[in-house]
Amino acid sequence: MAKGDAILEAKDIVIKFNLRGRTLTAIRGAGLRLNEGETLAIVGESGSGKSVLTKSFIGMLDQNGWVDSGEAVFEGRNLAAIKDEKDWLAIRGKKISMVFQDPMTALNPLLTVGAQIKEVFELHHGLSGKQADHAVVEMLERVGIDNPSERRKQYPHEFSGGMRQRVVIAIAVACKPRILICDEPTTALDVTIQAQILDLIKALQRDLAFTTVYITHDLGVVANVADKVAVMYAGQIVETGSAEEVFYDSRHPYTWALLSSLPQLGVKGQPLYSISGTPPNLFNTVVGDAFAPRNPKALKVDFAAQPPMFQVSPTHSAATWLLDPRAPAMEPPPAILAMRAKLGGAKLGGAKLGDAAKNGGAL
Amino acid sequence: MLKYTIKRLGQSLITLFIVVSAVFLLMRLLPVEGYFGDGYDKLSESQREAVLQKMGLLDPWYVQMGAFYKGLLRGDLGVSTIYRKDVPVLEVIGPRVPYSMKFGIVATCLALIAGLGMGVSMAKNKGKGLDKLWTGYVVFVNAVPLAVYLLFIQLYGTSLLDLPLLFDKYMPSSWILPAVSMSLGGIAGYAMWMRRYMVDELNKDYIKLAKAKGLSQSTIMVRHVMRNAYVPMAQYLPASILMTISGSIYIESLYSIPGMGGLLVDVIQRQDNTMVQALVLIFSSVGIIGLFLGDLLMALFDPRIKLSKSGASR
Amino acid sequence: MIRGAMMREPLAAGSESAEAIAAKVDASLFVPADFDANAAERGGYSDYSYWRSTMRGFLKNRVALGFLLLLGALLLFTFVQPLLPGQKSPTHIHIDPATGMQYRNVAPGAEFWFGTNTIGQDLWARIWGGTRTSLMLGLLVGVAEMLIGITFGAIWGYVRRLDGVITEIYNVINNIPTTIVLMLLAYILRPSFKTMVIAMCATGWLGLARFVRNQIVIIRDREYNLASRCLGTPSRRIIVKNLLPYLVSVIMLQTALSIPGTIGWEVFLTYIGLGLPVSIPSLGNLVNEGRQIMMSPELRYQLLFPTIILSLITISFYVLGNAFSDASDPRNHV
Repeated sequence: MAKGDAILEAKDIVIKFNLRGRTLTAIRGAGLRLNEGETLAIVGESGSGKSVLTKSFIGMLDQNGWVDSGEAVFEGRNLAAIKDEKDWLAIRGKKISMVFQDPMTALNPLLTVGAQIKEVFELHHGLSGKQADHAVVEMLERVGIDNPSERRKQYPHEFSGGMRQRVVIAIAVACKPRILICDEPTTALDVTIQAQILDLIKALQRDLAFTTVYITHDLGVVANVADKVAVMYAGQIVETGSAEEVFYDSRHPYTWALLSSLPQLGVKGQPLYSISGTPPNLFNTVVGDAFAPRNPKALKVDFAAQPPMFQVSPTHSAATWLLDPRAPAMEPPPAILAMRAKLGGAKLGGAKLGDAAKNGGAL
Repeated sequence: MLKYTIKRLGQSLITLFIVVSAVFLLMRLLPVEGYFGDGYDKLSESQREAVLQKMGLLDPWYVQMGAFYKGLLRGDLGVSTIYRKDVPVLEVIGPRVPYSMKFGIVATCLALIAGLGMGVSMAKNKGKGLDKLWTGYVVFVNAVPLAVYLLFIQLYGTSLLDLPLLFDKYMPSSWILPAVSMSLGGIAGYAMWMRRYMVDELNKDYIKLAKAKGLSQSTIMVRHVMRNAYVPMAQYLPASILMTISGSIYIESLYSIPGMGGLLVDVIQRQDNTMVQALVLIFSSVGIIGLFLGDLLMALFDPRIKLSKSGASR
Repeated sequence: MIRGAMMREPLAAGSESAEAIAAKVDASLFVPADFDANAAERGGYSDYSYWRSTMRGFLKNRVALGFLLLLGALLLFTFVQPLLPGQKSPTHIHIDPATGMQYRNVAPGAEFWFGTNTIGQDLWARIWGGTRTSLMLGLLVGVAEMLIGITFGAIWGYVRRLDGVITEIYNVINNIPTTIVLMLLAYILRPSFKTMVIAMCATGWLGLARFVRNQIVIIRDREYNLASRCLGTPSRRIIVKNLLPYLVSVIMLQTALSIPGTIGWEVFLTYIGLGLPVSIPSLGNLVNEGRQIMMSPELRYQLLFPTIILSLITISFYVLGNAFSDASDPRNHV
């Protein structure tokens, strides 16, 4: 398959949970398209459903949750329709694997690190004994652990947080996956370690040629690694596009609000912007634009009808009525304007983009 | 590991010392009549004094305690005063030890095998019929006093299964009911804890990673969940010896098994102070040693313990 | 890094085009709406209430509800029974006026509903009298254990200097089989109601004390409480909101479980001859009396009736305590 072809295409995914006798709709018709070899970052606040959506791609929803409708096509197969646990075994950990947020608890404390990696080689590559051990050592070396032949015999508690995350990554990529989902891979780590882990994932992606999905609320991570960004709010994807487009030419009021609340974009001497209110209660049916109640400049139509995805450019679309030709012209907030003025229009390289997001406010 | 063992051993020895001293001092609170048996009224005041003097009971408590510890170090726990007058306590207890041990070991093994199996099957079928059935059993055994249900087992077990009512060392079938009775509590305990630990482990993050690796549910159960749940169970094993002791005291007496438990009931009823004291000390020591071994076993299984300083974690 | 992917990529492709959906919407709606700051807050997830969830969890448990009714009826009847008309005294020895002999071992019938025992006392009256005694014992021990447990636990947790010492005391007592402690104490003190209470309290408070201690240490050290305090939350509120709900439920569980425990120990101590004096009807004495004659099948009712009532009570308390504890555990409030 060539670079740029769709590897995973999800449409209108609806995921529900049974909670305390009531039904909660965590994902309300989300769709996304993942291309071979690219890096997609899904951003959004806690509870926006970014984890739930990706978990549904490897059949790891909690027991009280299920995919209600929609489809997610991967290698010609609809993942959303898989019900049988056995069918997942052909995909989970083999074609699509996952790195979790907290490396401190993700490893079995009673098995050696080596044994936990070895399991993957035994399961997916049919290796055993010396061969498997050799593969483990190689893998550990590859994720940057010194003295791997000794350290594989150690237990997780003998490793630091960053080292453990390297082990978790080793486990995740040992199966040579086609897609790697990283759920907040650096959130639980020291700031100094974060960049190292991101660099490691990037390097592995280059060597092993997989596609990466990051789930994060850290826009710094997004700027550092993402080709493409999807912004999630209340169980829907509200804006999506290339990292450049979402950062410098965002269209959805929620994306504006999210970017405005970045400390780096704040103006000295002025209070930092924060989004007022709370996300909607997903036990209830949401009418119209879910973000409207928190948007001081919402239109009446936002409360009446759910906006469709309007196409801004071939790669960029956003679900907001502001893109309807009948809508009044709306000024984005000052921080967004400032960003557009400083960098918009100009063609930017990826590296520069990352720097810009990090230092934007200080420029 | 060695350091931990030594530390934990020291702790156990201190506990043992405190327990022995406490028991000894508590026993001094008893009225001295207990040392005379039925003959108390027949003796004159001076005769009584002479007897007490000879036994050292009129000395100040610290002298008595010193003498007691001296005796203890020589393996001398005193003589029986009523049960078998003037026979050394250890001579009375000695022949009874093998019976208690045999029953204890058999019951513990039975409990371990049946209880762990039951617990695993409960965790695997959580919320389904089998889980509910075994839960019913656990509730029954825990809620109904053992003094009650064991009575019914003896009553109906003997008539329905045609088994002997009392223990007879020459009749192997007379082992069955007491051994099974002794294991019932342990089975319920193991099953309940095994189920709980397995459910706990199932909810941990590393199970998510194991699942994300692509391991099947049954592999996760065997390689990760069960393995990890056995570790806290290892600690529970000797703790269950404490429970078996409780049961054995009653059961040995019910079935007239010539063990230490039945003996304790006898000497309590006969009010033989030195015998009670000796048996209480023996049972307490068994408890302390059991918990010590449990912690060692756990340290053996759990690599994290060697680093932590905790010994008094329970 | 950014590729010039000029292909059209409908990322969230619905079945209809955006324009088609938009066409259905009335153009007059495209005007600013009033902003209601309260409405923005209304969305949140905080319709959770600890006690409401606990109640809901408990009420959903049908078995527990059944036992609650059963136990309520049993308790009510136990204490109301002596006031009902036509009830006999539990200790009175009934004499046959014709022969002057005691009504010994009369089978259950119209006169003696549950029959009489070996010396001619009414078993029905004795069972309820015995239940009263045993329940009183259980409740007394339960409450005493609770008070001792909380007091020691609080001292243990709050006074850091005493932590090590009390932990050692705890380890010592916890290392000895409970049965042995009970037997020893009951042996040293002479058998009486008071002895029974003291002996059982001496072992029962341990678990609760340890629990309270752990909770207090958590209060002191847990990050969410530290955070709470940094935000200026008064200690009282932290205790009431963060600690008390869980503590109350565990205390109730322990107290509920100590009642069947106490009843069981009473039966056991009675068996080895360290129980209440035979003159006091108690479940332990009744079971023991029944045991002595259980080998004659026609007299077995004297064992069966007391054990059935006893088992109903202990099972009810056990199941209710656990059901409540499950319902009150926040981890079960999914």
